[in-house]
Amino acid sequence: MGSTTEEEFKEKLLWNVKREVKQIMEEAVTKKFVHEDSSHVIALCSAIEACLGHMLKRRAAGFLRSDKIAALFTKIGKVYTTAEEVCRKVQDQLQQQADITRRTQSTSGQEPLRRQGSSAGRVPQPLSAQAIKHIWVRTALFDKVLDKIVQYIVDNSSKYYEKEALMHDSVFGPILAALLVGPCALEYTKLKTSDHFWTDPSANELVQRHRIHGAHRGQEASPSRRPALGIRKRQSSGSMSEDKFSASAREYVESLHQNSRVHLLYGKNNVLVQPKKDMEVLRGYLSLHQTADALTLKWTPNQLINGTLGDCDLEKSIYWDYALTVPLRQIVCIHCHQRPDCGGTLVLVSQDGIQRPPLHFPPGGHLLAFLSCLETGLLPRGQLEPPLWSQKGKGKVFPKLRKRNSTARLVDQDVDDEPVAADYVFRIVYPGHRHDSITINYHHTTGSRAPSLDDDEEEEDRLHAMISMICSRNLTDPNVMKDHGDMEMQGFGGSPSSWQQAENASHASSCLSCSVGGGSLSIELPGTCTCMHDRIPLKMLCHNMKRQIVSRAFYGWLAYCRHLSTVRTHLSALVNHNIVPPDKPCEASGGLSKDVWSKYQKDCKNYKELELLRLVYYGGVQHEIRKEVWPFLLGHYKFGMGKKDMTQIDEKIAARYKQVMREWKACEVIVKQREKEMQSAIFAKLSSGSSIDSHVMKLIHRDSTLSNEVFMSVDEPDGVGRDTPCESENTPTMTTVVNPVALAPDERLLVEFDSPDSGLPSSRNYSVASAHSQILSSIDDGQSIEEETGDEATPRGEASGRDSLSEDRLCSQLDKLVTSSEDAPPSFSSYTIELLDTVALNLHRIDKDVARCDRNYYYFTTSNLEKLRNIMCSYVWEHLEVGYVQGMCDLLAPLMVILDDECLAYSCFTQLMKRMSQNFPNGGAMDTHFANMRSLIQILDSELFELMHQNGDYTHFYFCYRWFLLDFKRELLYEDVFAVWEVIWVAPRISSQHFVLFIALALVEVYREIIRDNNMDFTDIIKFFNEMAERHDVQHILRVARELVHKVQTLIENK
Amino acid sequence: MAGGSVSECKEHLFKVLVIGELGVGKTSLIKRYVHQLFSQHYRATIGVDFALKVLHWDTKTLVRLQLWDIAGQERFGNMTRVYYKEAVGAFVVYDVTRNATFEAVMKWKHDLDSKVKLGNGSPIPSVLLANKCDQKKDGSRSTSDMDTFCKEAGFLGWFETSAKDNINVDEAARFLVEHILLNDKGAPCEESNGDRIKLDQDVVPAESKPGCC
Repeated sequence: MGSTTEEEFKEKLLWNVKREVKQIMEEAVTKKFVHEDSSHVIALCSAIEACLGHMLKRRAAGFLRSDKIAALFTKIGKVYTTAEEVCRKVQDQLQQQADITRRTQSTSGQEPLRRQGSSAGRVPQPLSAQAIKHIWVRTALFDKVLDKIVQYIVDNSSKYYEKEALMHDSVFGPILAALLVGPCALEYTKLKTSDHFWTDPSANELVQRHRIHGAHRGQEASPSRRPALGIRKRQSSGSMSEDKFSASAREYVESLHQNSRVHLLYGKNNVLVQPKKDMEVLRGYLSLHQTADALTLKWTPNQLINGTLGDCDLEKSIYWDYALTVPLRQIVCIHCHQRPDCGGTLVLVSQDGIQRPPLHFPPGGHLLAFLSCLETGLLPRGQLEPPLWSQKGKGKVFPKLRKRNSTARLVDQDVDDEPVAADYVFRIVYPGHRHDSITINYHHTTGSRAPSLDDDEEEEDRLHAMISMICSRNLTDPNVMKDHGDMEMQGFGGSPSSWQQAENASHASSCLSCSVGGGSLSIELPGTCTCMHDRIPLKMLCHNMKRQIVSRAFYGWLAYCRHLSTVRTHLSALVNHNIVPPDKPCEASGGLSKDVWSKYQKDCKNYKELELLRLVYYGGVQHEIRKEVWPFLLGHYKFGMGKKDMTQIDEKIAARYKQVMREWKACEVIVKQREKEMQSAIFAKLSSGSSIDSHVMKLIHRDSTLSNEVFMSVDEPDGVGRDTPCESENTPTMTTVVNPVALAPDERLLVEFDSPDSGLPSSRNYSVASAHSQILSSIDDGQSIEEETGDEATPRGEASGRDSLSEDRLCSQLDKLVTSSEDAPPSFSSYTIELLDTVALNLHRIDKDVARCDRNYYYFTTSNLEKLRNIMCSYVWEHLEVGYVQGMCDLLAPLMVILDDECLAYSCFTQLMKRMSQNFPNGGAMDTHFANMRSLIQILDSELFELMHQNGDYTHFYFCYRWFLLDFKRELLYEDVFAVWEVIWVAPRISSQHFVLFIALALVEVYREIIRDNNMDFTDIIKFFNEMAERHDVQHILRVARELVHKVQTLIENK
Repeated sequence: MAGGSVSECKEHLFKVLVIGELGVGKTSLIKRYVHQLFSQHYRATIGVDFALKVLHWDTKTLVRLQLWDIAGQERFGNMTRVYYKEAVGAFVVYDVTRNATFEAVMKWKHDLDSKVKLGNGSPIPSVLLANKCDQKKDGSRSTSDMDTFCKEAGFLGWFETSAKDNINVDEAARFLVEHILLNDKGAPCEESNGDRIKLDQDVVPAESKPGCC
């Protein structure tokens, strides 16, 4: 037995080294270099030292030296020159470090270091204790001689090591030396001169690292698995979490190894545990440790053991929640269930009645081996009851139990010597201990049973555990005492204090002796139990328990209800309340295919629109038919329309588009002409030598003399929209600049700022300069904007007072231009300059952005850019009150790519902008989005919200600005933009008006571990997402987004 | 391992804003400065973009410039205020071929000064960049005019730059960083910045807190 454990232990040690070597090679690949202070270096050193230290002869380790490795290296240094060199360097370094440490110690520069330190994955501590601790191995590694030294040690292992040592092993030793060749070939660098080190890790690197570290928890990290409402359940058993946080992760893992304080009695890998119900079964390392006065059982999930030692990720790993640390003092009995085919299962039940998750041993006598080790470990004070039997030639075997009475107790009747399918219950007793008499003793009922009873027994174990838990909680939890005090106490026949005393006095055990039969709650007290007062009416006790169960359930339910009501108030407006399922009436994940679409086209009257939308929502549109489908999705056509109607619509739109094009093109001619003239004017002015400042002064002066005639015209209601080029219900005005009512206040101010690019310093521009301080302050606090607007509007009317060279000609041209509108403009000449300025400004902006619109995408050739410009100008001409805002080109571009038809794209873009224009500064949608994001994250992921709040508070969610403004167009590749947009367009009918919110939420959630682990602030997160642009797995994100909608829907529905 | 070499090095992280009207070449200047690249076809910036430039200022000073490339038409409410937060320097860019962009310089400067200040309350150092000087036409402003303008407007200085032809980009940055460092020295936290943190000890020595104290 001992030897196999030892073998396994050696394997484990070697395996640790293997893993660290792998990690460091990975780092070398992902980062192109390994920094000397990389956490992987430390981890590797630590793993190597564990091997080197294994079974080192005491003589070699030095009798008095605390550092075995130092002693070993020094010893080898005496006979091996390479090692001697290392020794010398180490001594030098230690000397230097001592000096430096003295100097640095006084400073408190830690805090500012924290953030940047994350680039190396851990908290930097100048030549940290870690680095010094491993300085020998580390130095040898950096000098690239570690492999040689280890090889030397292996070759001469008999000198330094015990027979069983890993280094002495004919297989393990050479393997270790061979493993180290790789790391010793790497360049380790401090990179003082390289920019790499000073550059923050790129988003890509962060994601890669996350994949490497989080390989095992990938699934767990997915937000869909997270408990709803951000309620995270803490593991209930107390001892575990205490131990968990008292020791750092590294110490924990190291504690699994043999060391001077702790004796490893038993170790077995791949022991299965299912930490929580509905969770997958995890493999882990089970170990039994003996210290001077305690015996501890540990089970560590493989994920922790395999992770990077000491890395901060490790400390945060969720697997800590699953690791078990069980002081055996707390355990009163052990249930063993054996099956010949699938090994054995062991359940530990502690004194408080809590049942530990079952440990499943692989087949092959491991369970018995464990029990045997445990029994040895318990000695001399404790023992198993009944004890294992010793059998000649076989070592320990399970005891053969006698029948105690004839009814429920079954003897293990198998006469074979084989370990058979049998179930046992062992008590752990401490003879002589004052409480031994009150150890739970119920094996006389469950002692040994036939395998057929298995299911029942599990049930029974659970029930038993529950009852004893409730009893002990009742006594120990002060809150419960307070809340239910009167009610609870009466159950104990007026002598509660005796219970409490017993509980407080005893760390070893509380007592509850009961046997539970057949699921009924009636409890029968065995005579042997001394702790229960015979007088306690059992019925009362049971009644009391029932009540408590009910009250607990009630309070739990109440808390849940409260939370739900929060959810409902904040989130119910965000989703549709009826859930449209993905699989009814048919599976929709295939999306809207060509077949389905042609069926619809043949028989459009009979096809349900909602069904088509459902297909799109869950599966997107097949690329070939996007051109046909999109006009429907965007509202250009309506579902169910006949061919005739569609043609009619097309014709109508075409006519309108033609008209609009004519209008703005005519205007453009004038604008161009005017610009030319102004260009020469400015040239003349500048060459005349007047200084800028005096020029400015002059113009400002002129402003004040101007009339505000134009501003006044705003008051005449019919004057506002009179020259609209078409009769759309939402009349776009050309006189926008003089119409403060039509504009959102801040928008108007900014229009004012952005001086037209005419080249001539128009009076308007300079009036702005004169008043800018006022305006800027008004931008800052939204409240004062309104009044500022009033003030500001006055000087704007100056335009008419100008003696522009070409004014008369312009007016006549514009007169011609607008003759199509119903009534002739009454005071036309008074605002044409403003109009021309606005048009010039917008044209310039459009030209700037069209020229650089997605030039890397094949579609945007010069001719297609021309079309893009035509559409954009037409749209802006019709919406001059908003004007062109950066981003609009981005919204039009994908439509152009798919529809590839100027007129259709124009119509669809107009439709799209009905929603999207609300996101632009003059609409209010952006603020609403941010506010909704806040509610969603706060409720669905409170942990992340808290982090955002703490790291400089970016819960304003400005990092989502570009997402919402452009419907994620800049975040995704073109193909992905198509897929996402379709879903966004149909979502209002299927799941949510605000589907974009859920995509945004999905983006945050998908990377939440990275955001959290890197402790990102506003700059980090905005940078991260900028860098991640066009790299997202869009199908995954859509899936998560749909799940999130569904989650909110279920929360709200569940009334 | 050359663990012995002891070097004292201060590392600074400076947040520097690049602002100005749309299409004046902010992104191009940054790409030129950081990546030594030029393209006509950088997409319009929406929101903000970032770039990091590492300067080995001298043997004792390492400067990391975090350049915030802010969209020229950034109009959304309070957002620029958040973008400006904790900046310690700024470039205000205009396009010499488009007079209107020069006129907007004052608007940006005022916006900047009203929303961000150094720790001691003074405006953050800013430099005016007259970009696209390779396309300069006759009749542009005289040097003395520009000097006067900068003085009155509160710019530290101005540079004629060209991202396309790589004219004066490094010089302008160097000029701004010099002033930022000067401000940084003036700050009373200097003493605590003087801790001797060795580069080879661990990852990063103290970052100078922008506008600290």
